[in-house]
Amino acid sequence: MIWIAIFGSAVATFLVRSLPFAVTIRGRLPGGASRYLEALPVAIIAALVGPAVVAPASALTHGAEPVAAALVIATVAWRRSLLAGVIVGVVAVALLRMI
Amino acid sequence: MGEGWPVLGTTLVVGTTFGVVARQSGLQPLEIAGMSIFVFAGASQFAMVQLLSEKAPTAIVIASVLFINLRHLLMATSLRAQVQALPLVGRLVAAFFLTDESFAMATGHFRRGGRSLAYYFVFAVSLYVLWNLATLAGVAIGGAIGDPRRFGVDFAITATFIGIVVLAIRRPADIVIAIAAALVAGGLALAGASTIAVITAGALAPLIAVFARR
Repeated sequence: MIWIAIFGSAVATFLVRSLPFAVTIRGRLPGGASRYLEALPVAIIAALVGPAVVAPASALTHGAEPVAAALVIATVAWRRSLLAGVIVGVVAVALLRMI
Repeated sequence: MGEGWPVLGTTLVVGTTFGVVARQSGLQPLEIAGMSIFVFAGASQFAMVQLLSEKAPTAIVIASVLFINLRHLLMATSLRAQVQALPLVGRLVAAFFLTDESFAMATGHFRRGGRSLAYYFVFAVSLYVLWNLATLAGVAIGGAIGDPRRFGVDFAITATFIGIVVLAIRRPADIVIAIAAALVAGGLALAGASTIAVITAGALAPLIAVFARR
């Protein structure tokens, strides 16, 4: 099953990358459609974040994850560095879970 | 090519992180390597790991990857003029290696008046090789760490997602969309809703952008 997910995802990814290179589409996307496509990755990834922060391991958080998430947001917004954010998040969660 | 070093460095770190969290989630080394070899898409690979560890249905995993990567339609469309001279096989090879990073670097190169596609191919293929090597390094490290919750390693994937979202925000509407998607998805998960409902909430949130004035 996992290999079906991997190959299915590979095909899906290759399709969206190759379609505009392989075929010529006349005309332009309507503005609404292109605004939707531009905002989609942020929304999908945020939708994956929400459950992981409020209900990690399918149970209500004890508070470590939301606090660490806020620290990650602040760090990345300030330093513009993904790496700095991940380090701060992992260290914060490890410390907060000990409390 | 010199301006590409920060991108290559980030790829190395994020690829290693991916290998670590994927291994920690219980996926087999061959499956993890397969993701980096065949899918080759950073954020979607992290999403796959999370969804597979939640035992999400295969169709939902594939649909989420498709949603996350739909933006490549826009990127490829904007690069089309530059690759038009290539034969179909060359264009398909160029498409396989298209990522946010190679798109950004190529766009910068062409905007500065560059014409050479060699720049794109060298950079894009370097990213691919580096991403795969980093994945393998991460798999090796992840296998050696032991219990992920002890060091907060399980949170690395969430922190990576948060960072990706923060860095991707361009307009005020993006912030509204991100918060709305995260809150609704979190609420749904707490209420015991399925992963399908959570991903659907994410796919609907960008409608805010469609109707937002600016």
